[in-house]
Amino acid sequence: MRWRVPLILLALCFVVPEAAHAARINEISDSTMAERALRFFSFQDPSLRNALIGSMLLGICCGLMGAFLVVRKLSLMGDALSHAVLPGVALGFLWNMSKDPVAIFIGAVVAGLLGAGTVQLIRNTTKHKEDAALGFVLASFFGVGICLFTMIQNLPAGNKSGLDKFMFGQAAALSHGDVMLLGGVTVLAVVAVGLFYKEYRVTSFDAGFARSLGMPVQIFHYSLMLLLAFAIVASLQAVGVVLVSAMLVIPAAAAFLLTDRLGSMLLLSALFGLCSGAFGSFLSFVGRNLPTGPFMVLAAAGVFAAALFFGPRHGILSRWWRQRSHSARIQRENTLKAIYHVLEADEFCRELATVTELAERRRETLEETMRQLAAVRRAGFVTISGDSLSLTPSGWQRACEIVRNHRLWELYLTNAAQIAADHVHEDAENIEHVLGQETVLKLEKRLNYATRDPHGKLIPGLSDIHQAPGAQGRATGFGASQSM
Amino acid sequence: MQNLIPAFDWQRVVVAPWTDGFSFTIWIVLMGFFVTAACGLVGNYLLLRRMALVGDAISHSILPGLIVAFVVFRHVSIWVSLAGALAAAFATVAIIDFIHKQSRVKADAAICIAFTTLFALGVAMMSSMESKGSMHIDAECVLYGEIAFVALEPPFVWAGWEIGPPSVLRMAVVLCVIALVIAVFYKELLVTSFDEGLSKALGMRTGVWHYGLMAALAIVVVSAFEAVGAILAVAMLIVPPMFAGQLSEHLPTRLGLTVLHAALTALLGYHLSVWLGCSTAGAMVVAAAGLFVAVWIPPQIRKLLRLRAQPELIVSAMR
Amino acid sequence: MPSPAPLEVHDLTVAYHKKPVLYGIDLTIPQGNLIGIIGPNGAGKSTLIKAVMGLMPVSSGWVKVFGKPYKENCHRVGYVPQRESVDWDFPVSVMDVVLMGRYGHLRLAQRPTKNDHEIARECLEKVKMLPFANRQIGNLSGGQQQRVFLARALAQESDLYLMDEPFVGVDAATESAIITLLRELKARGKTLLVVHHDLPSAKEYFDQLILLNMRLVAFGPTQEVFTSEILQTTYGGRLTILSDVAQTLGAQP
Repeated sequence: MRWRVPLILLALCFVVPEAAHAARINEISDSTMAERALRFFSFQDPSLRNALIGSMLLGICCGLMGAFLVVRKLSLMGDALSHAVLPGVALGFLWNMSKDPVAIFIGAVVAGLLGAGTVQLIRNTTKHKEDAALGFVLASFFGVGICLFTMIQNLPAGNKSGLDKFMFGQAAALSHGDVMLLGGVTVLAVVAVGLFYKEYRVTSFDAGFARSLGMPVQIFHYSLMLLLAFAIVASLQAVGVVLVSAMLVIPAAAAFLLTDRLGSMLLLSALFGLCSGAFGSFLSFVGRNLPTGPFMVLAAAGVFAAALFFGPRHGILSRWWRQRSHSARIQRENTLKAIYHVLEADEFCRELATVTELAERRRETLEETMRQLAAVRRAGFVTISGDSLSLTPSGWQRACEIVRNHRLWELYLTNAAQIAADHVHEDAENIEHVLGQETVLKLEKRLNYATRDPHGKLIPGLSDIHQAPGAQGRATGFGASQSM
Repeated sequence: MQNLIPAFDWQRVVVAPWTDGFSFTIWIVLMGFFVTAACGLVGNYLLLRRMALVGDAISHSILPGLIVAFVVFRHVSIWVSLAGALAAAFATVAIIDFIHKQSRVKADAAICIAFTTLFALGVAMMSSMESKGSMHIDAECVLYGEIAFVALEPPFVWAGWEIGPPSVLRMAVVLCVIALVIAVFYKELLVTSFDEGLSKALGMRTGVWHYGLMAALAIVVVSAFEAVGAILAVAMLIVPPMFAGQLSEHLPTRLGLTVLHAALTALLGYHLSVWLGCSTAGAMVVAAAGLFVAVWIPPQIRKLLRLRAQPELIVSAMR
Repeated sequence: MPSPAPLEVHDLTVAYHKKPVLYGIDLTIPQGNLIGIIGPNGAGKSTLIKAVMGLMPVSSGWVKVFGKPYKENCHRVGYVPQRESVDWDFPVSVMDVVLMGRYGHLRLAQRPTKNDHEIARECLEKVKMLPFANRQIGNLSGGQQQRVFLARALAQESDLYLMDEPFVGVDAATESAIITLLRELKARGKTLLVVHHDLPSAKEYFDQLILLNMRLVAFGPTQEVFTSEILQTTYGGRLTILSDVAQTLGAQP
């Protein structure tokens, strides 16, 4: 998988400790926004360096894990887990009465796994549904966490604990140890996903099938939950408990909208996470130490909104644009059909039709008709001079095809589908534009190459389509090319 | 670790609040009871419709609604809060529907995206306004409220009688209204929650009841906000109905048990917070959850013990 | 003046996510008949019932129930849905569910009256479920659940009954009890339209049959339409072109 290599390299770049710059502790004094922006990216200040690197790492590992949450429809499990770890953080602090990353990490992971286990237990032993179980764990574990936090604040060591940063996140408070932890978790996630990509993919898509292949589906599920717990806990300090699930789900959902392949989705998700993380910590620093979590989430939400509206394949605006051009095409084809009918009314004795006749037949105003003719002319199907117009060879071809499709379909509906003749016309109006070549040939065969539609009109045959409109044996050559 | 949990002194924890600080204690406990009961009653219908996490979503997204309302109307009052909350609730539901229906993002991810983005927006607005000095909202207050403040409010005076803190009285009114609505429209709420197909076939406007429930949800959550904050309001929506659900299969009984649970939660929670010196709201949530565990776990243990004693029951124990 | 037909459908087309599911259906159902709807999977049988009741949006055509749009005559229609459409853990008893059938006769906020309770009890008696009146619905077998739904439809006291696969997953005793009840209803002049899944029993149970495969293949007395040729057309997949086109339409932007 070509995408795996750059991903691993990217992760390694940030894990290897930077020896390039000497650590200089600058004081963060009042300065302008531009000055602070510059300082942020100059990598001079170690705490800012940690903030930036930590945020980017967090973005990567949350993005990777989040991609699996989104495809397995476990987004709200991520939310519940991220709230459930709070008591673990408090207990981890209490272990050594200090913000020891390892103790907090272990405490939080244990709490998270306990939460996940409780959800399962409630699902298995009571009649309560999935959403109720998740909500219960989310709220009650969080409540225990809040109690512990406020109790800690009463202790002498408590006020300086910096635990309040865990609510909404503060990337600037990341210590070197925290960043190393993030780095470790990111590397673990990348390696695990890289090694077991096809297993994770098949168990996400069709667990039953995977089980039938003899894969230990449960192990993969729990390993993913474990990695998720690691990612959540490692990211807590930078994003905050409340908003971690956003960093899991939003970049992944944005990636989901932009690609149809899990591999690219993982890559994009990690990339979006990285950018959101960096941008968020940047914004919070520039805004004088505002909490980082909210800004990271807003950055990610911006990316998601862009993907939602402007995504090339599934974006709302792209779809709207495609719909518009589709209806424009149908409009053009209906105009061609009308021209055909005008000419047919005179049994193709002439080549020219007038705009007035066309407007009459379509029951429109002259302006309307002129506008539509302009569109048809732009497509090269018709030439107009004054009030008269004539079909170009390609225009004639297309008009014949459309009329043929329409009449074949009408015939099919009346004969084979036994739909009453007066219902049929409108159906045919919609369908003739989308019948593919193959279907039309099938239809023709099915209808025994009939030459007349339910209203008695001639059905243009294949050869007629390629003959230019003109006086050469039009009336006689028509339809006689097909054999019964 | 020893300093963390103070000694349990019966006199200090249980007796003194009622003897010495009665006027303080009573309002806090009543507020807790009203909040939990109102949220729990609405929560019953959320759980029946499997919308528990929409409740979670709305209680988070109310925050930016409140802030925008304060900024727009430039003053703080209950009607402003209500307006902001209702706007936020409907905006959340609208955004969730939009994302879910206009793209291939599934419902669960749509819910998560909508409320976290709105909540982040609220916190971002709040902290940037705080740093500019134009608004002072304690971030923690948002998350878990400070119920003790209600006891410190000047009491509401009517016809010369000092009745009580305005927030508590407001919450009591909200509870009464919710109870009344449930009683009067009991059968409509029942059939639209149970069988939407039948409701529509009977000619009912199911959309009206759905949005009505969302509106009721927004109202109880914004009322609960000052007492227990955003995230713990979720607990009050979900835990009392779960407790009631463990004990009864009969909806009216469940509604009654919800109110009972609310009373116990408020009482136990308050005493717990006095003992441990922790956040009152957090303690109430712990009490609520503890009550659920108390009715959930013992039957499971009994079942396990029975299974150990008689293995042939294992087959019949499969639900 | 002749009374209007219980159900009249004209040129009904229903599309689900732009994919046509029902195509130009024309039907006039005569009163006092037991009519079965049969067809292969995905033929739109349930969709037809749901479209009649306005539970699915209609792309074209119209539906008239006793001469008026459904919404105006909805109290004259009784509906028995598929069993999996409901959450069986819901805290309601059998009696509560049957009483729901009476809600169409009650105004907003009005409580069920003693008369409603009487009717509900009678309906439960008819389906032999009265002893279970106070039991929560989750504690019932498949056949018992189906009978509760039937009792609810009976309690609606309708003139036209629409039933969606009522015989699926029920035991033989329940099945014969249900068909006896349906025949009784027919004898009282009710009209019954039943989506059915099983061919052999369809021939036995119903007076008339509607054969559906995205569009109406045939409708008429069972003897006349239950022929191998018509069955071939319905089930034989000769309409692959129609379904191909339906696919294409559904994939349009």
